[in-house]
Amino acid sequence: MKNAKYAIGVALGMLAGAAQAQSVDVPAAEAILKKSGCMKCHSVSAEKEGPAFKKTAAKYKGQADAAAKLQTHLMSGPTIKVDGKEERHDIIKSKDDREIKNAVAYILSR
Amino acid sequence: MGWWQNLRQRCRTCSRVTLGAGVLAVTLGISFVMLTAGAYGLAWTNTEQFCIGCHEMRENVYAEFKGTIHDKNRSGVRAICSSCHVPHEPLALVIRKMQASFEVWGHLTGKIDTKEKFEKNRYEMAVKEWTRMKKNGSQECRNCHHFDAMDEEKQTEKARGRHAKAKAEGTACIDCHFGIAHKEPDGPGPRELKIAK
Repeated sequence: MKNAKYAIGVALGMLAGAAQAQSVDVPAAEAILKKSGCMKCHSVSAEKEGPAFKKTAAKYKGQADAAAKLQTHLMSGPTIKVDGKEERHDIIKSKDDREIKNAVAYILSR
Repeated sequence: MGWWQNLRQRCRTCSRVTLGAGVLAVTLGISFVMLTAGAYGLAWTNTEQFCIGCHEMRENVYAEFKGTIHDKNRSGVRAICSSCHVPHEPLALVIRKMQASFEVWGHLTGKIDTKEKFEKNRYEMAVKEWTRMKKNGSQECRNCHHFDAMDEEKQTEKARGRHAKAKAEGTACIDCHFGIAHKEPDGPGPRELKIAK
């Protein structure tokens, strides 16, 4: 009986953890994206120099490694093409892994 | 000219010239008072206090504006509602004020008097303002931000490139700089609006 209670507790703990991992802190994500200057070239749903977050979310939809790929994109500063010219993508202005993961989750959940 | 005959009968001792000068002085006095009152009235409707007098503005767009770069910044130069949303040129200003008087109907009928109603109408309202700003080449932005006064050396390489392109193509500021003082509405942005200039 004691073991069963322990197992239920562990399972509930894992579920809570998973739910927390999936939920996005929207104000925090918007703040770091703004601080990093992302919104100068991207928008949530409108067309700018860079693709809208909704477009990015649709592109990565169903891909198991979507979050990892997007995180790498935000942290490595890859070369991108804007109006046919190559330029370096800006790097997200954060060293906090949780903050970056939250921003990634925000973009992918648009 | 019945009123003139009437006036002459009442003041038989006055000459025509004196009477005429008196009428002119009174007319000018009334015109001056009316013009001054009108100018003060227009100026009053341009104040921040007037704009946030209704809760629709105060609790939505004004609350979003607080803390943005146009509200608080290192140099202390601040834009208020009318700086961006009311033309500064006299005729365009009066036309916009007349249009705005029709918007009072929306306030009286409670079109956006709750958060839900405001959000439901946010995109429509944003498109109206984007359209206006695209049609006048974002004149209200350019009242303060002049391409020719920009020090390119102080801009990033990307900003320099984007501004050079915008200048060459005659792009309106709002095409790129939207959602900077208020929440971005859900839907296509200014760039996707097909508007004849």
